[in-house]
Amino acid sequence: MKKIVTLTIDGAATRAPKGTTVLDAAIEYGICIPHLCHIPNMTDIGACRLCIVENIVDGRSRITTSCTLDVQEGMVIRTNTERIRHLRRNIAELLVAQAPNSRAVQDMAVRCGVKEVRYPFRNDDCILCGRCVRICSDMWQARAIGFIGRGAERRVGFPFGDRPAYCKECNSCVDTCPMTIAPCEGSMKPGEAHLCGGCESQLSMASGAQEAMCVMCRLGEGFKCSRYGWQ
Amino acid sequence: MPTVKNATALEKLSSPESLEALRKDIQARSRQTKITVTMCGGTGCCASRAQDVMDALRTEIKKNRLEYDVRVRITGCHGFCEQGPLMIIDPGNVFYCRLKPEHAADIVSRTLAGGEVIEDLLYTDPVTGRKARTESAIPFYRAQDRQLLSLNKLVDPLSIEDYIGAGGYAALAKALSGMSPAAVLEQVKKSGLRGRGGGGYPTAKKWAECAAAPGEEKFVICNADEGDPGAYMDRCLLEGNPHLVLEGMALGALAIGAQHGYIYVRNEYPLAVRHARAAVESARAAGLLGGNILGSEFSFDVDIARGGGAFVCGESTALIASLEGKVGEPRPKDVHTVVQGLWDKPTTLNNVETWANVPSIITNGGAWFASKGTKGSKGTKIFALTGRVKNTGLVEVPMGTSLRTIVFDIGGGAPEGREIKAVQTGGPSGGCLPLSMFDMPVDFDALREAGSMVGSGGIVVMDDKTCMVDVAKYFLTFLRDESCGKCSTCRLGIDRMLEIVTDITEGRGRLEQIDLLMDLAGTVAAASLCGLGKTAPNPVISTLKYFEDEYRAHILEQRCPAGVCRSLIEYSIDAHACTGCGTCARACPHGAISGGKKQPHVLDASLCQKCGICISSCKFGAILVA
Repeated sequence: MKKIVTLTIDGAATRAPKGTTVLDAAIEYGICIPHLCHIPNMTDIGACRLCIVENIVDGRSRITTSCTLDVQEGMVIRTNTERIRHLRRNIAELLVAQAPNSRAVQDMAVRCGVKEVRYPFRNDDCILCGRCVRICSDMWQARAIGFIGRGAERRVGFPFGDRPAYCKECNSCVDTCPMTIAPCEGSMKPGEAHLCGGCESQLSMASGAQEAMCVMCRLGEGFKCSRYGWQ
Repeated sequence: MPTVKNATALEKLSSPESLEALRKDIQARSRQTKITVTMCGGTGCCASRAQDVMDALRTEIKKNRLEYDVRVRITGCHGFCEQGPLMIIDPGNVFYCRLKPEHAADIVSRTLAGGEVIEDLLYTDPVTGRKARTESAIPFYRAQDRQLLSLNKLVDPLSIEDYIGAGGYAALAKALSGMSPAAVLEQVKKSGLRGRGGGGYPTAKKWAECAAAPGEEKFVICNADEGDPGAYMDRCLLEGNPHLVLEGMALGALAIGAQHGYIYVRNEYPLAVRHARAAVESARAAGLLGGNILGSEFSFDVDIARGGGAFVCGESTALIASLEGKVGEPRPKDVHTVVQGLWDKPTTLNNVETWANVPSIITNGGAWFASKGTKGSKGTKIFALTGRVKNTGLVEVPMGTSLRTIVFDIGGGAPEGREIKAVQTGGPSGGCLPLSMFDMPVDFDALREAGSMVGSGGIVVMDDKTCMVDVAKYFLTFLRDESCGKCSTCRLGIDRMLEIVTDITEGRGRLEQIDLLMDLAGTVAAASLCGLGKTAPNPVISTLKYFEDEYRAHILEQRCPAGVCRSLIEYSIDAHACTGCGTCARACPHGAISGGKKQPHVLDASLCQKCGICISSCKFGAILVA
């Protein structure tokens, strides 16, 4: 029997089994925290930083990603303060500037309040969220792809550059990638600094998700959350 | 030859009493040595050909048949790297500097054999012009309080006997004969020692949390993955006095209840790796590491692990991942390493300098240590003084010493009559402080309040020829290359900040970019995963805070006030000052300068690459930068 802890998220007393993350606990309660690199039941690495929350410890607020923060008894979490919204908007802006043609990232940015991107676009088509790397290692135990290099040089690739035999070409990495949706044909063109948010992105992995689920919780699914309603 | 025996021949010490007996024996033997020549064999002096001087000296000693009277001791860094290679001759404590191999014959025949002091080799005070005979007469040393560094010149890092002779392992013996782990912890708590690696976290608090953490198996780690540009105090300590670090780690392990320790040292410090390995081996052979140390119940052993050259592995969680054989990337620190560290076991990780401070705290008591320094920061701190200052080197001063004392009294001010404008403290994650703040006491809290940090203790001095926007650009470039890239804010945020700063230095800056820069800096600082990202915007924030006028000059007037940013400067020749000597024309690799003999020369701006070679070649100051 798992131990249950009680914590407060945005003022609501919530209960969650010990060992779950704050993000999972919040989603379970219908409290939506935007996230991108998180995939349910897989190791979280805190790469995209979108799911940042304020963790109030001894009256001092510490900002950390909720996907890597385990629930603890008596924890006080704030997911939607002015400061968090501001930081989240800036982070989403950084991400969308890196991959402006991904509908998933674009929509996410608009949801987080990005109206204008203040940086020149770079069409890198990868934001290094690591969803592909983790689905390969965690779900299929294959480890056929991984991160290579560090800093600005970091990229996803095969070991030593060649596709190894233990890659079963299962396509999970492609399915889970937020970039694999057809590029936006509309107002979002390289060099254009305005996001319309009009696209309805569809991820093949998320297409089986339940109707009522919030988009932040199921990347790409319909945008029905009232809190982050149309801007 | 009355010098020390080979360390491996040392008998295993079985009790604190046998250690004391050995110490007396070593001291008695060293008193029989007539002359001791101490030569700095640190990296700085070795770079100035200290090895050649040593070889020449040894040959000369042999030639003069003095090998039975003279002991040559090669030690770690003495700190005054600017003047290297350095030598101290005892008796008399005669201090020679800037030695060359050809001086060896004179030193042996006149000083060692004749007892004469060679005036030419003494240090000359650039202000008074007076010669200084001993270290204590040199202003650089006089203004310091060298608690840790002064041991370096007494100890050959490869000889455990030297260290024991200098009072080494007395603290461990004291702790093992009657002090409980709690009593050791209590002394450290009383001392008020704070982590020297950068964060300034109270050491005793860290140890107490680790001691209280559940689990039988615990670890201590010494972080010697020093990577800040310009900082080398950890290198100097580990190279020069590795046993001091080992003793500190053993004391920490005793207080915490750890059985095993690691020294994580970067592979780019080959001498530190070699000396640390030799120290561990000789300490094991002497029974000062391993099972039942000095006949007690306490067992502790240390291994050396080499880092793979990643700056981020100086961060505790990344270091631990690297030690475990994983990719050196940080993890979130919501559960601290004192509870779940190496192999998920409670782990105490401290910096080299922190460990090195522990033995003297146990020997002299915590109150002695706490008597130095300021209210919040106790003891002494080693700073690496580099940049545009006369006396570069390692400086150890009590916490709370003003920047003015460090830069002007010890450092001797700027060379060539330039004007000092700012200092950059704390490495790439630190900040820049202007001259107007030089009276501020240097301690953890004051620097943090001013927007900088003590960090590992690097102090880079900047004069009026340094462009602060360029400084921000330099550190951002460093951090972009050294960020692990795991989290988006650090990877993309630093890259974007660099993009903006580059725009500004190349004349494409817009005024609204200053606000964007501040906004972005705040985001990176707040939302990044590890300490590297959280402190990465400091160079930008502090230069913007204190030198916004320079940013504005770049953007609004397309002008670099210091004449550094190449896109914004033009070279020209002052026709009145130019004598037509032709030196610059010959020196210019791009053929941009021309002119007749004894006629003022002309610089073709379309060919000029702004490399600055002409400036350094001109004796008349005729090359203008605007």
